[in-house]
Amino acid sequence: MKDIPRFALILTIVTVIASGSLAWINKITHPVISAQEQKTFNEGLRAVLPGSGQGIIEPVMENDNILYYMGFADPEKTNLIGYAFQAPGQGYSSLIQTLVGMDTSGTILSIKVLSQKETPGLGTKCEEIRTGETTPWWQDQFQGQLTMDLKVDKDGGDIQSITGATITSRAITNAIAHSASSVLSQIQKSNQDS
Amino acid sequence: MSLLKEFTKGLNKENPVFRLMLGLCPVLAVSSSVNNAIGMGAAATFVLVCSNCVISLIKGFVPAKIRIPIYITVIATFVTIVELVMAAYAPELSKALGVFIPLIVVNCIILGRAEAFASRNSLISSLIDGLGMGFGFTLALTLIATFREILGNGTWLGYPVFGSSFEPALMMILAPGAFITIGFIIGFLNWLDHRKAAL
Repeated sequence: MKDIPRFALILTIVTVIASGSLAWINKITHPVISAQEQKTFNEGLRAVLPGSGQGIIEPVMENDNILYYMGFADPEKTNLIGYAFQAPGQGYSSLIQTLVGMDTSGTILSIKVLSQKETPGLGTKCEEIRTGETTPWWQDQFQGQLTMDLKVDKDGGDIQSITGATITSRAITNAIAHSASSVLSQIQKSNQDS
Repeated sequence: MSLLKEFTKGLNKENPVFRLMLGLCPVLAVSSSVNNAIGMGAAATFVLVCSNCVISLIKGFVPAKIRIPIYITVIATFVTIVELVMAAYAPELSKALGVFIPLIVVNCIILGRAEAFASRNSLISSLIDGLGMGFGFTLALTLIATFREILGNGTWLGYPVFGSSFEPALMMILAPGAFITIGFIIGFLNWLDHRKAAL
């Protein structure tokens, strides 16, 4: 019984040292990680809007939120390539963030899965690049697909699911369809307003 | 035991996966590809060595009754450090191992060596033991991953091994494939031991 204060003190010392070291490491790594994420996102925007290399990608805001991005091929903003938006979806074991590039008719230009923590070897295949290739094979199939009624094969659609990772495949596909439809209605609304 | 023996025991005689049967959860999950196996092995080795060293250093101050929460706090701290440093400086590897780095905290190898060895041996011995066990873990992971990736995906380290007509056995990528592979390897090692004993 008289040991309890001593034990409590020792445990407190251990946890204070542990949290102190972690706070210090976090302070060092946090800016690097944030910069990393921002860089990945910006590269993603360029990647899902092919042809925007020399042009401008501009966010469309409502209050303080970015609804979607408009991508132009030229800095004068006369040549609209299409729109880019985020499509988050709950996967098997993580929130999957996908960036989608869509042309003005609602057809997918390209997608890029930004972050996921799905099962290694199964769900993570959504980002796998085969040796000798340069782009993730599973994501390539989305190019040219209509965002309307976008579904995985198991739900009657055209998107091939990853073998052994149906939930991951379905989560990404449905997130794209869902976000696309809400962005399309926002675009329609702003076209009507202007 | 000589320091060299402290190291080599982790590779075969006391291999944490095939002999001590520790850390089987992450082994099942991460041994589906050689690339992930090596990455996980390296991260776990780093945590094992660091935690063995720290626990050996503080062994005089740790009362036996509260040793487990203290060990776990030390281990969890190192794992979180690995997680943050990886996310900042090796983002590709961090994405590949995402869910499983935090699982190193409950990897029985780390807690097991802390309890069975580091808490009662010198700093140097504990460091070497950590290295040996970590290498043994990595070796075991890579061996299992070699079988699982070749048979279940047709590749090794991402390079195709067979032609495009090869139909991979999906089961090898899932948990049963891991169990079966581990079982065969342990059976083979036991058979080798029997033969040595019979000579």
